[in-house]
Amino acid sequence: MSIRLESGPVVVDSAFSTGASPPPTAPETAPVIFDIKGLNVYYRDFHAVADTDLDIHQHEITALIGPSGCGKSTVLRCFNRMNDLIEGARVEGRVLYHGIDLYGPAVDAVEVRRRIGMVFQKPNPFPKSVYDNIVFGPKVAGWKGNPDDLVEESLRRAALWDEVKDKLDSSALDLSGGQQQRLCIARAIATSPDVVLMDEPCSALDPIATYRIETLMRELKERYTIVVVTHNMQQAARVSDRTAFFSVDVGDNGQRTGRLVEYDSTDQVFTAPSLKETEDYITGRFG
Amino acid sequence: MTTDQRPDFHAALNSLEETTMDMADRVEKMVGIAVKSLVTSDVALVAEVIASDDVVDEMYMDIRSRWMQIMARQQPMGRDLRMMAAILELNNTLERMGDQAVNIARIARATAGLPREETILAKLVEMGDLVKPMIRTSIDCFVRRDADECLLLPAMDVPVDVLNRGMWKHVVECGHDQPLLEWATRMVLVSRALERVGDQAVDIGEQVAFLMTGDHQEFTRHTG
Repeated sequence: MSIRLESGPVVVDSAFSTGASPPPTAPETAPVIFDIKGLNVYYRDFHAVADTDLDIHQHEITALIGPSGCGKSTVLRCFNRMNDLIEGARVEGRVLYHGIDLYGPAVDAVEVRRRIGMVFQKPNPFPKSVYDNIVFGPKVAGWKGNPDDLVEESLRRAALWDEVKDKLDSSALDLSGGQQQRLCIARAIATSPDVVLMDEPCSALDPIATYRIETLMRELKERYTIVVVTHNMQQAARVSDRTAFFSVDVGDNGQRTGRLVEYDSTDQVFTAPSLKETEDYITGRFG
Repeated sequence: MTTDQRPDFHAALNSLEETTMDMADRVEKMVGIAVKSLVTSDVALVAEVIASDDVVDEMYMDIRSRWMQIMARQQPMGRDLRMMAAILELNNTLERMGDQAVNIARIARATAGLPREETILAKLVEMGDLVKPMIRTSIDCFVRRDADECLLLPAMDVPVDVLNRGMWKHVVECGHDQPLLEWATRMVLVSRALERVGDQAVDIGEQVAFLMTGDHQEFTRHTG
């Protein structure tokens, strides 16, 4: 079973629906689109992430937080099989997306990445025009439509249209850092994704550009589901609906393995978390 | 092994809590002295309460100022955020408790030359003896983070409320004597002030519960 290619809502064979419930700590509201059970990730012999269960809810912003090396970016990359591109990476456990096993043999990883887009820490526009940055991906995927409309719609959704509409033929590399990052978001949503993954999307941006991205994230969640990795706890508190806190266990051999400690509504995590380990982290008592 | 990654912030927060507890100690003493001034008609004690309230007011402003700085600069979260919320609430509550002590002391001064009715005075002394342990209990619970003992406060407040509600009956009995009635009428205000102090001690207890559990709680539910 593969995910269908049409744009618009993802259509999934109901036989692949899991019927799984969210974890007891998470408020049950929006439908679950990612159902992760028993996730373990290895880079060759290195056990990067252990025994993680996590549900991602539709049209919500889920923040993954935790100290360096806790595996939050590794988990994020499991959502669209980006770990496949890392030599020696091995994923065990179940990653169900709308009930479909993303790591199943019939699933096309390229199509997964079209459905589940990604925005990286450092803005990485193609060394092409603003216009071409938007239309490149859909054209490669065989999309046939009006590219002018696609460019305008994507840039409008990324809150960038008014700033670049008169310089669509200019190099994307001439834009400011914040504009480049919004262009990357526009590029990600041009392929009509269902989910947008963001890995530290604001860490290379100034405060004003950061607030614009955060505002954009809240607008985008009406259409997309967003999962964001951030080192900035205030950012997680500002933008997300749910927060997953990861920590690191250090083994006898010094190996550092990440694990999910607590997952709950963002309000709960940042005001009265259930676990001392979470509270110690968010209040700066750790290490 | 847990290491504090934000020692300056936590030092500032601890210092803010210490100042708040110093303020609480001062307010507790003020309530005791105010009731004593009522019994002894000692104007020196009245002056002591009023002077102490000036210090409380300065502490109140200092706490507010430092509170704002910490919120703006440190963005506390988790139990630190709850502590900040509780301190803001305690600061307001303690400042009002100090004001109630001043109200009592000023009434003591204003009624010093008037005849007194011993039953009413004894009831007020009894109320004072009931609310002072309530203040101490609430402060101790805050310092110890004791979310269990603070649950005793509503029961401790019941006899205070009963004495306050019964005060009118004793005042009416003074109606035959104009100067005595003038004194007794003022004592209703003292009774009301002590009743409020009892309620405010319960409020502090509620903040202890919030601090420890994260749940906003109302210990006393009013019906009707």
